[in-house]
Amino acid sequence: MKYGIPPSGAMDQYSYRVGNLLLGNPENSASLEITLHGLKIEALIPVTISITGADLGPYLNGDPAPQWTPLIMKKGEIIHFKQRKKGLRAYLAVKGGFDVPEVLGSRSTFIRGKIGNPISEGEIISIGDFGAIKSIKSLALPKLYIPDLNLHDPIQVIMGPQNEYYTLQGIDTFLNASYKVTSQSDRMAYRTEGPPIEIAKDPGIITEPIPRGAIQVPGDGKPIILLWDAQVTGGYAKIATVISADMDRLGQKMPGDTIHFQQANRDMAIELLFEKKRKIDTIKKLLNYQD
Amino acid sequence: MNRKYPEIKPVGDCSVLIEYEEEVSPEVNLKVRTLAYRIEKHSFHGIIEVVPAYRSLMIFFDPFKTDFKKISDFVNYLTEESVKIEMTQPRLFKIPTVYGSLYGPDLERVSEHTKLSPDEVVHLFASRPYLVYFLGFLCSLAYLGGIPKILEIPRLTSPRPYVPAGSVGFAGKQANIVPVDEPSGFNYIGRTFVKVYYPKKFPPTLFRPGDYIQCPSVSEEEAKWAGEKDLGDFIESI
Repeated sequence: MKYGIPPSGAMDQYSYRVGNLLLGNPENSASLEITLHGLKIEALIPVTISITGADLGPYLNGDPAPQWTPLIMKKGEIIHFKQRKKGLRAYLAVKGGFDVPEVLGSRSTFIRGKIGNPISEGEIISIGDFGAIKSIKSLALPKLYIPDLNLHDPIQVIMGPQNEYYTLQGIDTFLNASYKVTSQSDRMAYRTEGPPIEIAKDPGIITEPIPRGAIQVPGDGKPIILLWDAQVTGGYAKIATVISADMDRLGQKMPGDTIHFQQANRDMAIELLFEKKRKIDTIKKLLNYQD
Repeated sequence: MNRKYPEIKPVGDCSVLIEYEEEVSPEVNLKVRTLAYRIEKHSFHGIIEVVPAYRSLMIFFDPFKTDFKKISDFVNYLTEESVKIEMTQPRLFKIPTVYGSLYGPDLERVSEHTKLSPDEVVHLFASRPYLVYFLGFLCSLAYLGGIPKILEIPRLTSPRPYVPAGSVGFAGKQANIVPVDEPSGFNYIGRTFVKVYYPKKFPPTLFRPGDYIQCPSVSEEEAKWAGEKDLGDFIESI
């Protein structure tokens, strides 16, 4: 980020990482992030894949394909994401990871910065590194570890760093009203529509770094949630920051969904992160996955 | 107000914002850069990255390895430490730029606003080096400061949806060279064909906070010819 490049990467990190773990891949092997349904992808060689994250109605050769488990595809077989049911972004991992160049220490795509490209029709993607695959148990992930894409739970936030730019009334509105994700939303930011947040003073600040999950509220009073492809620095006041543990759930929100913000404190936020880490550690144990 | 000790605030659950005086000045920015340099040199366990800006910097940390209190104490310790440090030498980049006509869509506007002739505007802007305060925004955009007061003019009322890469311009107290085609509300008076952003390289730009950039005026032909060279070819040592 200090070079002015956002981190990018999966919007639902948990689903992305678990997708790789299920196949014995290194956690950060390159996977596909699939937004909404429509994708049809054919195995040109026999492969083992996993589909995690949102339920975009995947079918393997005409039958519903199971998610959150390794799935063998024979040469010529096709996965088709037919109809979105829950969530927005699915992750398709392949045993060996996708072979994409590493740029600035990552295989993530950042279109604006001319790093990588979205996939186009007819494109052939190779598989990367069979040598890095670990030998693990083949397991369908127990339901306990599958996130309930519960779109109605509030998104927890820690107030600041510029909450003093908003009135008490404004903060009250922010923490009690509903905000709808608009169609002017993407991997950079979710723009929202809802009761405007009352401003105490001009929300222009001296440009400073922006953490992921920061919520800017400019002059029109409408919160903008900054995400993984968002600008690294900015000059608008920020009322609060989404807690790290809720970023995955946030990444599954789509235009039309409503968001409620709820105040959390740092200790709670960090405890939730530890809880997530314990979940991942348990999954590794179940799989016999050795780090 | 001279503040030796910065204000240290937790932001979210895995970052720390460190703020100096609320002003854009080379002196305050030097404090930011110095602290950023010190932090990086120490390799504090759990600190993932340090991102500097005008008068503040943000530390991103791994909450499984460290916490706000430890980092806060560490920053205060570094502030106390009065050991002189040698930071990397700043460089001066002189980047050939063609001004006006189709390369300077806002030159007229600036000229009208400042009551200077277009030539005077260009001469004033192109004749001095500007400090790189930090790299930010989206594609290693170098935030440049030190614009002559008379050239401080507001941004466009609505940003242009598309400004070509290499465009050179300014607004308020800031100037920049656009790294990739992108929307912008700045006033653009010239263009360089020298590439300033190399996405496939590490680091993606040669500019570093503390460097200086000057955009001397050249002919269109010379500017295009300069575009065949690398950014590194335009460094002059200070």
